[in-house]
Amino acid sequence: MTAKPRFLRLWRTTTFRLTAIFILIFVLASISLLAFMAYQSSIQIQRSQAQAILREINELKRLEKRRSIRAVANAVQNLARRPGKGIYYLGDNQGRMLVGNFSSFPRNVLLRDGIYTIDYKQELVFFDNDNRKRKKGYALIYSIGLNDGFRLIVGRDIVERRGYTAIIFRGFLFGVIGIVILSLITGGLTAMRVLRRIDIISNTSEKIMTGNLSERIPVTKRNDEFDRLATSLNNMLDRIEQLMIGLKEVSDNVAHDLKTPLTRMRNKAEAALRKGASDKDRIRALEENIKESDQLIKIFNALLLIARIKAGTPSGSFKQFDVNEVVNDIADLYSPLAEEEGYELETKISGSMIIIANRELIMQALVNLLENAIKYAGGGEQKNIKIFLATREINDRVEIEVADNGRGIPKKDIERATERFVRLEKSRSDPGFGLGLALVKAVAKLHNGQLILRDNQPGLRAIISLPKGKN
Amino acid sequence: MKILLVEDDREAASYLLQALDEAGHVTHHATDGETGYAMASDMDYDVLIIDRMLPRRDGLSIIESLRAEGNKTPVLILSALGEVDDRVTGLRSGGDDYLTKPYAFSELLARVEILARRSNPLENTNIFQVGTLTLDRLSRKVKRDGKEILLQPREFRLLEYLMKHSGQVVTRTMLLENVWDYHFDPQTNVIDVHISRLRAKIDKGFEPALLRTIRGAGYMINDS
Repeated sequence: MTAKPRFLRLWRTTTFRLTAIFILIFVLASISLLAFMAYQSSIQIQRSQAQAILREINELKRLEKRRSIRAVANAVQNLARRPGKGIYYLGDNQGRMLVGNFSSFPRNVLLRDGIYTIDYKQELVFFDNDNRKRKKGYALIYSIGLNDGFRLIVGRDIVERRGYTAIIFRGFLFGVIGIVILSLITGGLTAMRVLRRIDIISNTSEKIMTGNLSERIPVTKRNDEFDRLATSLNNMLDRIEQLMIGLKEVSDNVAHDLKTPLTRMRNKAEAALRKGASDKDRIRALEENIKESDQLIKIFNALLLIARIKAGTPSGSFKQFDVNEVVNDIADLYSPLAEEEGYELETKISGSMIIIANRELIMQALVNLLENAIKYAGGGEQKNIKIFLATREINDRVEIEVADNGRGIPKKDIERATERFVRLEKSRSDPGFGLGLALVKAVAKLHNGQLILRDNQPGLRAIISLPKGKN
Repeated sequence: MKILLVEDDREAASYLLQALDEAGHVTHHATDGETGYAMASDMDYDVLIIDRMLPRRDGLSIIESLRAEGNKTPVLILSALGEVDDRVTGLRSGGDDYLTKPYAFSELLARVEILARRSNPLENTNIFQVGTLTLDRLSRKVKRDGKEILLQPREFRLLEYLMKHSGQVVTRTMLLENVWDYHFDPQTNVIDVHISRLRAKIDKGFEPALLRTIRGAGYMINDS
């Protein structure tokens, strides 16, 4: 992996991006919530101020009705002098202010009754503070005509309301910035931690790629998702290593078992080319070479078949068929040969036994077991050797058995007998190439079954045990 | 007979051409699928030998096209793919026989000769005769010099196959495929034992011997 700037790598991690997306969503949600709250509260403030204005107007109107316009003028003057944000005006029908603290209203306010909001310059009319700068003002006002053309205007400055909203927003801004920074830090830290774990895994796989196959990903005690990933990767690596070791053993054996016949062939060809060789010698050498190469081809075919089975043939090749029929056919094919060799071949089957499997491969496996029995059962002290072919159902399994009462396999060799190219010492001199049982084992494994070798006391029992397929 | 060989491996082809020529056959050769297809559809051959993997056009598609045109010339497929599934797809495309590489020339020759004569009307006859040996497919009776010989069902099928192809070499693999329907090579001489049992029944005590072993190739039944 090429080293990229740390930040760029951080940005490319899923954790970090998720954090960023969450922050964005959070900020948007908070802004809309706050905007809603500010809007609601400003409406509320405006409403309560409008009510206060209305109350004062009603009060003044009642004063006019009960007393006189003069009393109203006195009251307005008093109100206007009071410190606060109140706007008061009492004018005549010519639009001239009699009393009040503010007069520069737009024209229509002085002509028609109603509720208005106006922009104005705050003047020295307010006594609430010593800071007498002219400020921009914003007010809600009520204009109402009284008897004899007098006009009363009462208002409230509502800059206050805006200040309130601004405060809320400022507080909120600090909060959001704080949260964003905090989440960026935590998101970054988490992403960095994840990145570190992943770096460990990729470093390990790099080491493995350079050839150190025994390297493993460290597993922590936390048992988190990375540990689970590491464990399953390690298990996979174990399996690969096993396969590699197996492959190496096989290739060593292949090299040995194939080199021998190849050397023989070469020697024979060379001998045939010698000057003194007669035509008869040459013909014999060529015939022997053909025989040797046929044998080599058979070895390769068997190896390829095993490799293909181990890689797993497509399950489409599985069909439903009667094993007992196959056993009968094979017994029929082989019983003359068995008799010729001095054995008795017997079948112990009854009825039909339907399984779902690859028919050709099961047949091949059975033939291999039977040919092994015919080849190796004899030669011991045992006389009257019998070979049995049997099938049986045990619970949810089907067993196909080839048993003999011949010389068998020594206990210590049973384990090794199914490996590729292993020929037990006694059979070194016999024809064959030590792939028969390996193939049977591979076939059994392909069907999720197994090959079991047992001592038949005397002799050997080879059992292909398969799970019964679903019908 | 006239044979077309479609094979891209020049060395294998020249060996085959020479050997087929020595066996008395006229053989034409095409090195790629397109040429092979053109030659097969333009001229009359007795047998086509077609390699499965060819440049420009693969063997199976040639066979499919020929069959679609109504060309019924027997085809022997040569292939390095030898699994049962491969064989099945090969034969399903219209091939008549399937031979896996590497093969012995005797095996190829025996199969080609049987394919070429397959179209003869023997398929429909019910009584085969070789010398004084007769086999009746309907009554399932076998007689030699008029004397009935009792055969096991499998022995009967073995003899039936041999007599159907009398005068032609039949290899062990062919017997295993056609009489037992097995498609693998046994490591033992299992067929020879069956042949020698059959021979004991049909030839022992009679003159001349009809069932002969052809060295390095297989067996042949004939009257000579």
